[in-house]
Amino acid sequence: MSEKHDPYEAKDTGHEWDSIRELDNPPPRWWMIGLHISWISVVVYIILFPAVPLINSATKGILGWTSIKRLHAQVAEIEAVRKPYDEKLKGMDMEEILKNNELLTFAQGGAKVIFGDHCAPCHGAGGQGGPKFPVLADDDWLYGGTAETIVETITDGRQGNMPAHASTLSKKELDDVVQYVVGLSSGKVYEAGLAVFMGETEAEAACASCHGVDAKGMTMVGAPNLTDSLWRFSGTEEGIRYTVEHGVNDEEDALTRNAVMPAFGEKLSKLQIKKLALLVHQFGGGQAAVVDDEE
Amino acid sequence: MSNVQTEERYDLSVVGWFSVAAVIYLVVGASVGVIAASELAWPALNFDLPYITFGRLRPLHTNTVIFAFGGCTLMGAAFYIVQRTCQTRLWSNKLAWFTFWGWNAIIVSAVITLPLGITQGKEYAELEWPIDIAIAVVWLSYFFNFVMTVVNRKTPHIYVANWFFMAMMVMITYLHVINSLVIPVGLFKSYSIFSGVQDAMVQWWYGHNAVGFFLTAGFLGIMYYFIPKQANRPIFSYRLSVLHFWALTFGYVWLGAHHLQYTALPDWTGSLAAAVSMAMIIPSWGGAVNGMMTLSGAWDKLRTDYVLRFLVVALAFYAMSTFEGPLMSVKSVNALSHYTDWTIGHVHSGALGWVVMVSVGAIYHMVTKLWKTEIYSTRLVNFHFWIHTIGIVIYICAMWVSGIMQGLMWRAYDEYGNLVYSFAESVAAMHPYYALRVVGGICVLLGAIVMLYNVIMTINKSKVKVAESSSQPATATA
Repeated sequence: MSEKHDPYEAKDTGHEWDSIRELDNPPPRWWMIGLHISWISVVVYIILFPAVPLINSATKGILGWTSIKRLHAQVAEIEAVRKPYDEKLKGMDMEEILKNNELLTFAQGGAKVIFGDHCAPCHGAGGQGGPKFPVLADDDWLYGGTAETIVETITDGRQGNMPAHASTLSKKELDDVVQYVVGLSSGKVYEAGLAVFMGETEAEAACASCHGVDAKGMTMVGAPNLTDSLWRFSGTEEGIRYTVEHGVNDEEDALTRNAVMPAFGEKLSKLQIKKLALLVHQFGGGQAAVVDDEE
Repeated sequence: MSNVQTEERYDLSVVGWFSVAAVIYLVVGASVGVIAASELAWPALNFDLPYITFGRLRPLHTNTVIFAFGGCTLMGAAFYIVQRTCQTRLWSNKLAWFTFWGWNAIIVSAVITLPLGITQGKEYAELEWPIDIAIAVVWLSYFFNFVMTVVNRKTPHIYVANWFFMAMMVMITYLHVINSLVIPVGLFKSYSIFSGVQDAMVQWWYGHNAVGFFLTAGFLGIMYYFIPKQANRPIFSYRLSVLHFWALTFGYVWLGAHHLQYTALPDWTGSLAAAVSMAMIIPSWGGAVNGMMTLSGAWDKLRTDYVLRFLVVALAFYAMSTFEGPLMSVKSVNALSHYTDWTIGHVHSGALGWVVMVSVGAIYHMVTKLWKTEIYSTRLVNFHFWIHTIGIVIYICAMWVSGIMQGLMWRAYDEYGNLVYSFAESVAAMHPYYALRVVGGICVLLGAIVMLYNVIMTINKSKVKVAESSSQPATATA
């Protein structure tokens, strides 16, 4: 039966290797046609596109196609859509934009990928923060939460600053002030610690000079609110002790906590930062400009 | 003629060692691949050990599968085929053993240096300059021995399989030497003598032809012997062999620049590469057609002959990936596919579908001939065939979906002209496909382990020692 389906047994080339024979069939017709189409299409392609190297240049091809032209054309297509919005955005201040739903949507959309590429590695994809990085999606702001302040933060970066107290506080003072800070969130007042906090003991630690007498923090210097159960580093007794002992970005303490946000002013354009600030502002906790003035 | 008598004249022991080594390296290479793939899906698996980070395992994987598995298969099969089709023993059996031990020493040095991070950073050419020199020497010993054996042939003509092997040997010699030209600055550190775009161009001229000549021409040589042999049919068309051989040999070397579309390379290099790439579909299919048509009238054998199944399905994957590759080289498709997992899928359809399957078929065939026995278990060969095929299909489909999704996500714009996805989102979207790829890889690995077991059991039950069949007077250099 198989013999019947085999039209090719008839003739071979007369060669035989290790009992393998070779038949002398012509290649299939479609294959030969394909082979000719192939080389013809190479010739056509070479005529249409830049393809042949010359001494100092190459042939340009009659279509005038170049990869950079294609790139520019595609970018231009997208930019034509984006441009009118961008122009409006440039000319408006932040509070105005916040009231304009369409522009706000545009700005947030544009900032999403910038945020994903530049900010999310530390602050999380939705601004939810990371183990050692601040949450952006709440209304607890270290340096202020108005759109303008956020622009400043992104442009120039921020650097936390708290001196280490391991050598300036006695063991007792340290214990007291840690207890005091632990108590703050639950409204308990630990008197011995209050004195240290206010700088009324010999050590003159004066936590209050940055964190405020009410311990509610000061956005001017980036000192966090200690009364709201939201913690920059850690809210456990141990964690608070660590922060007090080693401070934040204290160059003289090798164990100090690290809190540096790099400046993006040179990496991103003004417009990109503006969009980014609007996105961060709208994550959930942005403050209106007026409120900030009152503080 | 009496096969038994003629076989006594061949140097087959070295072929046996190459074949078994190839199977061992297939298991090793697939294992490293599975680990590397798992690290992509679950990055914590690198345990923060620099030696097993993805960046170091990946070249270890590619070197093991291409040069250890592929190399041993090619060398073993070439030494087997050249003797049988030239009706003469090797020009030098001793030199063949030098090739075997030299090549394996190179593999060992790769396994040591790559995890240590000693690399030139050139894809498929990572090994540092002292190893590169060793590769050149060992490769030339293989080349010279093969050519001299062809010269000594007792047949009037040179069989088509040997044309392909020799095309590979010539091309790989000059690709390897030129791409490895470096200025050493220490025993384990060197700098390429090319710089910038020239370096990139030379690297991909090498890289593509490592695929074109090492993984295609060489394995076509294997196909041209084992398909007619296993199917016991004559080659379909001598003329087709001649045409597609020269078309491939002439065309392949032009393609390298298609790996570098939309880069700093001049436009003309990319267009020329894309044009010739498209023109390579038909010549490539020439090999597939010639192999398939050889089976005319013997298709029923596929029902029972599992080894033949490997060889034939290999041709199907060969035809598919030689269509896919040129498609991806075209600039408009490349704009979507480049830098995505589509490329990885394409490579593996060629590597697992074509190279591994044709090799596996050839090795099963050779093992039974060398040890003059039936395979230990045909059911296990059948199992290997299916688990391997399923593994490939899972792997390729996962990478197609993942790659095209990546490409589309990277270029997605919303109605305001804003990019829709951040890069990290595209990475997160890949996760299920990366996990799926691990599953595909495990299937392939499992198949390789079963094969190793089957080969070992076959050799164990054989009463013949392959060493004996070459234990003729040492006057091999007749």
